[in-house]
Amino acid sequence: MFDLLPHLLNGLTLGLLFALIALGFMLIVGLMEQINLAHGSLFALGAYVAMQLTGPRPPLPAELAKAWLALPLGWRYAATLVIAPVIVSLVGMLIELCMRRTYGKDPLYGLLLTFGAAMVIEEMIRLVWGTRDYVLQVPSAINGGFLFGDLIWSTYRFYAAGISAGVIGLVWLLIEKTSFGATVKAGAHDSEIVRALGINLSRLRLLVFVFGTMLAAIAGIIVAPIWGIRPHMGVDAVIPAFLVIVLGGVGSFWGAVVAGLLAGLCVGLAGAYASEWSLLSMYILLVAVVTFRARGLWGKKSVLEA
Amino acid sequence: MIVESKSSPDAARLVTPTMLVLWLVLATVPLWITRIGLYPYLGIEILIWSLYALAFNLVLGTAGLPSFGHGAYFGIGAYAFGLCQLEIVANLWICLMAAAAGAGLAGVLVALFISHRRGIYYAFMTIAFGQIFWTLAIKSHRITGGEDGLLKIKRLPADFGLVSFDLTDNVAFYYFVLAVFAVGTAALWRLVNSPYGRVVAAIRQSEVRASHLGYNVWLYKVAVFALSAAVSGFAGGLFAMAQLAAFPDVMSLHQSGYVVMMTLVGGGLVSFWGPVIGVFLFLTARDVIGALTNAWMLYFGLLFIAIVLFRPEGIAGAISAAVQQHSLGALRQRGTSAMRLLFGSGR
Repeated sequence: MFDLLPHLLNGLTLGLLFALIALGFMLIVGLMEQINLAHGSLFALGAYVAMQLTGPRPPLPAELAKAWLALPLGWRYAATLVIAPVIVSLVGMLIELCMRRTYGKDPLYGLLLTFGAAMVIEEMIRLVWGTRDYVLQVPSAINGGFLFGDLIWSTYRFYAAGISAGVIGLVWLLIEKTSFGATVKAGAHDSEIVRALGINLSRLRLLVFVFGTMLAAIAGIIVAPIWGIRPHMGVDAVIPAFLVIVLGGVGSFWGAVVAGLLAGLCVGLAGAYASEWSLLSMYILLVAVVTFRARGLWGKKSVLEA
Repeated sequence: MIVESKSSPDAARLVTPTMLVLWLVLATVPLWITRIGLYPYLGIEILIWSLYALAFNLVLGTAGLPSFGHGAYFGIGAYAFGLCQLEIVANLWICLMAAAAGAGLAGVLVALFISHRRGIYYAFMTIAFGQIFWTLAIKSHRITGGEDGLLKIKRLPADFGLVSFDLTDNVAFYYFVLAVFAVGTAALWRLVNSPYGRVVAAIRQSEVRASHLGYNVWLYKVAVFALSAAVSGFAGGLFAMAQLAAFPDVMSLHQSGYVVMMTLVGGGLVSFWGPVIGVFLFLTARDVIGALTNAWMLYFGLLFIAIVLFRPEGIAGAISAAVQQHSLGALRQRGTSAMRLLFGSGR
């Protein structure tokens, strides 16, 4: 049993990261009924922008750069955690403005549009940063490892798991406990009525999309030190994201969180027995669940099926 | 495609005039392709991908089923061809049949799982299965060669009993692929315009209505997916011959996305030949723009976004709209001059 413990913990951490990655994706699917295939690219962009900001050559005027670099890494990292998602959200805004033309049409069009956007962003990343791998610097406080029983455990993984849980909690509060969340949900449920009540629905949708983009970027920054920063990381992220959504059921917040944990545990435990095939276990889990529960664990009927 | 098949007498034909013209034009390609700075291998690639895209459009355009993991079947075909040649028997026809059969089998297996699904759930499941096959291809080092691919695939001679053609030369192989392409397009055209094809098109319009009419929608969806997978696998087998190897790359989510792009850019949703236009544009753009800049995907991506936004029916759709408008305009002009003649307007 004790041999399995590290795999179990690994799986849980991975599961929380999966849930974090899927969160922004899920918000846009659940509240706008749009599939954002560019989610992975925005995730990667977040990591690249953060790397550039915390790196030795920040893209700032000379004086500002000097002042910025004089700050301790911890401060810079904390600031980047806010600044980078804001920068990336501008790209998300652009995508949403293009996407407006596809609302009310077959959801396929939105999906294809964001596939094109993903391609463009990925090529941009390749143009700016090339194809080599980068490392995101993190403050020494969350770097390194510690002993846990007789196991060496990475501090960063604990930090990443904690942040993920925190962000998931915050998003839940925002959606379930604030009037903003209530309006957004109402807008998803019945856009006519919400518009009739004098609420600017297109601004609301823009806000949701921007928020989802910021979550993608945050996930990118958190995951980057574990997966490494490379052009392919976007695809590596978008696949677990959609998998978690389908497994949990489109439109269900807790479904996505539980599905994320389940997928993570599945990969972690499979890693104990057949590490080569651990990623495959995720897909097998998905196929097994969806064969018996067509809409995932907690899915509701949605327009996406039409 | 539905509109076309109803109004045009070509639907009942085995070989249409469009088809003949296309084949004849394609037959002249090796004569001039090197003179415009391209090379015969590009022609081979365009033909193979066209066959693949036409097979894919059977699912997307005819049946309206969003399959986003189709690269898997193309790749399985390539591997099946290679494995058959290396492990079982080095006969071109048997190996090509193995490519189609292997991919078709995988297609049946997947279709059995997903054919009760609709819309985005269908799309997601095809992605999941695509990823499963891709992972299998990458991780099964001993069978597929992993990331390095399956090497040492040969262009087997096309043996017709009395005569046998050597296909190692690119031009000879081009003509072989063209012959296969001709047979393939005629067969796909017949299939789309057959009673079976009509039912599939009806399912695209409304699954509920088709099932109320007494059709077993599930079975039709399984069959069309498996057929499409088999033809994609056949094209994959040809691709393994062209490349002299099989790589897991074609099975990735990206490459599966490219065939969707090619099909839509060309206009697969409204025209039988749309996918061919898309493939031609995609592959020549890759080579021509790719020679000028190393970010050709950026420009193609932007073009794709523009097409989805402004011309979702693709290039074929834009052409047919332009033709229609033109003929309408000409008609109106003729109409007004007739009116003028009759009523002497303006005076």
